[in-house]
Amino acid sequence: MDTEARQVIELGYGGNERLTMNMGPQHPSAHGVFRAILTLEGETVVAVEAVIGYLHRCHEKLGETLTYVQYPSIASKTDYVAAMTAELAYVAAVEKVGKIEVPRRAQYLRVIAAELQRIASHCLWLGTWCLDMGGALGGGATVFLYCIRERELILDLFEMLTGARLLYGFHQIGGVRYDVPAGWDRKVRETIDFVEKRLDEYEAMLEGNAFFLVRTQGVGVISRALAQDVGVCGPLIRGSGVDYDVRRAEPYSSYQEFDFKIPVETAGDCYARYRVRMAEFRESIKIVRQALGGLPEGPISSRPGVKSVGQVRVAKGDGYARVEGARGEIGAYVVADGGPKPYRLKWRGASFSNLSILPHIIPGHKVADVVAIMGSVDPVFGEVDR
Amino acid sequence: MPALVWTALAGFVVLNVVIGMVTYVTLLERKFAARMQSRIGPYYVGPHGLLQPIADAIKLMLKEDVVPDAADRWVYNLAPIAFLIPCVLIFATIPFAPGLGVADLNIGVLFFLAVSSLEIVGLFMGGWGSNNKYALLSAMRAVNQIISYDLPFVFAALIPVVLAGSLQMSAIVAAQAGLWYVAYPVIGQLAFLAFLVAAVAAENRVPFDILEAESELVAGFRVEYSGMKFALIQFGEYAHMIGTSFLGALLFLGGWLGPGPVWLGALWFLLKAMAIFLVITWVRWSFVRIRVDQILAISWKLLLPFTLVLLLATAFVVAWRGGGVVS
Amino acid sequence: MSSPDGHRGFLGESVQLVRAVVRAMGVTLRNFFRRPVTVMYPDTPRPYPDRFRGLLALTYDKETGEENCIGCRLCEYICPPQVIKVEMLKGEKRNYAKTFTLELYSCEFCELCVQVCPTDAIIMMKSFDLATADRREMLLDKDRLHALGLQWEPSWATGNRLRDMQAPPKPARGEAKAEAGAAAPAGKAAPAATPTKAATPEPAE
Repeated sequence: MDTEARQVIELGYGGNERLTMNMGPQHPSAHGVFRAILTLEGETVVAVEAVIGYLHRCHEKLGETLTYVQYPSIASKTDYVAAMTAELAYVAAVEKVGKIEVPRRAQYLRVIAAELQRIASHCLWLGTWCLDMGGALGGGATVFLYCIRERELILDLFEMLTGARLLYGFHQIGGVRYDVPAGWDRKVRETIDFVEKRLDEYEAMLEGNAFFLVRTQGVGVISRALAQDVGVCGPLIRGSGVDYDVRRAEPYSSYQEFDFKIPVETAGDCYARYRVRMAEFRESIKIVRQALGGLPEGPISSRPGVKSVGQVRVAKGDGYARVEGARGEIGAYVVADGGPKPYRLKWRGASFSNLSILPHIIPGHKVADVVAIMGSVDPVFGEVDR
Repeated sequence: MPALVWTALAGFVVLNVVIGMVTYVTLLERKFAARMQSRIGPYYVGPHGLLQPIADAIKLMLKEDVVPDAADRWVYNLAPIAFLIPCVLIFATIPFAPGLGVADLNIGVLFFLAVSSLEIVGLFMGGWGSNNKYALLSAMRAVNQIISYDLPFVFAALIPVVLAGSLQMSAIVAAQAGLWYVAYPVIGQLAFLAFLVAAVAAENRVPFDILEAESELVAGFRVEYSGMKFALIQFGEYAHMIGTSFLGALLFLGGWLGPGPVWLGALWFLLKAMAIFLVITWVRWSFVRIRVDQILAISWKLLLPFTLVLLLATAFVVAWRGGGVVS
Repeated sequence: MSSPDGHRGFLGESVQLVRAVVRAMGVTLRNFFRRPVTVMYPDTPRPYPDRFRGLLALTYDKETGEENCIGCRLCEYICPPQVIKVEMLKGEKRNYAKTFTLELYSCEFCELCVQVCPTDAIIMMKSFDLATADRREMLLDKDRLHALGLQWEPSWATGNRLRDMQAPPKPARGEAKAEAGAAAPAGKAAPAATPTKAATPEPAE
């Protein structure tokens, strides 16, 4: 099916002048550095042109100049909001190419880290989305501060585990770098119990709230066919009725051993994506509990700890590994040539594919809906521009 | 002559009191909002942030006055003043205690409602004169919204007028000596609710603050203003808000009526007005905003018929009770 | 449901609207009475977890008082943004670092230098308190790094401890494991008497 690259709606106002407005890279709700050139007729957007590249930091070139040992710390900077899953994509790709085993304990720790990271990332998503819709001086800020308050608790957990709060360097080729400190799993259980209760509060503030529903229902509808054509991923495609999650489709890092549901909604609007992510909160909490309960003993890495910069050499070959990040499918394609550095690293950013849906769904909506839709797409520009 | 001097003096005093109230009401709002968001708010400037408004005022006065090159200079420079004057003028008709006010007009409520809607002129001048698409868009939205919501606002404010049988503010308060109008069965509560909703919308507060909508339009019509001009606009907005709170306290919550001696009445009045202001603030920090077409839909399809029907009902009730003052 | 289009369902929708409004405002009111979660830093010191990755520093040997750094330059080679520059000074019994510069303003705090150090010379501290108005103050030379090492409390992580934690278990490392006192790989996930019990603030409720 042939979808048009840009859908321009002719509203036939006749004589009404069109205004080109720049929602520029510096904007309170651009979610990073993103430029959208909107063409408006009155309050309705008739065309949108997305301009990206403001955060390009040459990750793929860095992947060629930094060794397998150095790059995992840098990999977290692509999806900096959900750093654990970004690192996981890279190390999983290298492990696939080099056929390197990962011990079970490391796999479980990776799962715990990824799911806690998903909770933290969704906290940030909810906060910033409501901030966009409600204004920095208004109800949005209240939800934002509540979500950040909860996210801080999860970041405290990561701080206990790795020493860092945002960009961890937790993964290494063959396993993870840090084992569980004393008292950590008790703290994790306390924190996720607490966060689970607070989730009920967020839902009380937003569900059934006419103001919120009216801003999100029927807004930014992505039809199932459109979602599959354009190739969006993550909560966007699950909100449009396609039951696809990399953790189920191609289980990695022992995900097949956990019992969790994949939330799917069919409406395809912002509200459906909201419901998908709220359900993902609870599923992630379930997975963390199961993983903590069944954490196996054993080494945390199948290779000795990093002692020199050229320690890991991967034989010639190539491979692609993908993980289900908070925003969708993050993939890394590594071409190895036998040395300590990859010959080529290619990132598949989830937000990059997700952003391409914007010119299809925004035209026809009002200016105020642009921020609601962008928030529900939840881009992180580290992934988009790399 | 002396009467004119007295009035001028009273006006001067009221103006200064309003300035003081406006500055400290911003601090009150910030602390209140902070507590609702699990944080503390201004803390370091002065004990517990009490000197924060002074620091903000000084900062705004010291800022450079930037006029955009392509702006329409006269319109741009006059807009904050044109916005401020109606917002402060409304305090001329509010009696803060029996006999304590600038001018207790016998058409007090009418004057208040009429003058308070004049702020639209200043607002639109600001949006137009800034020569900025964001500002213009926001000014257009604002005019749209304020005009739509002034009607239900007026109708809701007229309900106590009908009940009291007078437009004079002190007479309305005196008529509430027996029962505050908010406690009046059904009509009182509904009217108060409609008044609050219309007031929030007419003042461009969240959830109806589509005109500023920081995440989209970044301060709306105020975007090109900085320094003292911005201060004037902020001042006008908050003065208008406090004025509406005072009006609400006067019309529905019995003004200066309260236990204790008569001279304590001004304090009760202040407390009631602050209570309304805090409720408006509480609403502001609890909800996301709604879209402009939805705002207009609520006004024209819901609030206007509602207040109109309520006004008619009130008129019937008063006529059925044989006319005269309802107290 | 933006606004009712007719009187059919008007009452029901209004009731739902009022109920949602009351619920949302109830949540904010409940939070109004909770203790604020603000930590008044720097008046109130913030407890750092054991593994906190803060400022970098060079250490002295506990027994002999000699510098630990042997100038091997492994940290220089592994640093991803290449902020470390070391020159080796050869000695009779052991080598030293003649100069050791670390550009803290570009440091990523990834702890890889700590990871590779064979003598546990370079470590991270439980503090990040080095805000300055002049970037040149963040170009740390050897003396400054040693001074930092004595000024703040060191984090748990040193090169040997990290490598022990990560290595697949080998029998000969029995004593090293017990000494390191870390969450040893072959041991349990929560050993009792270890300094790794972190002290993070409890959630405010």
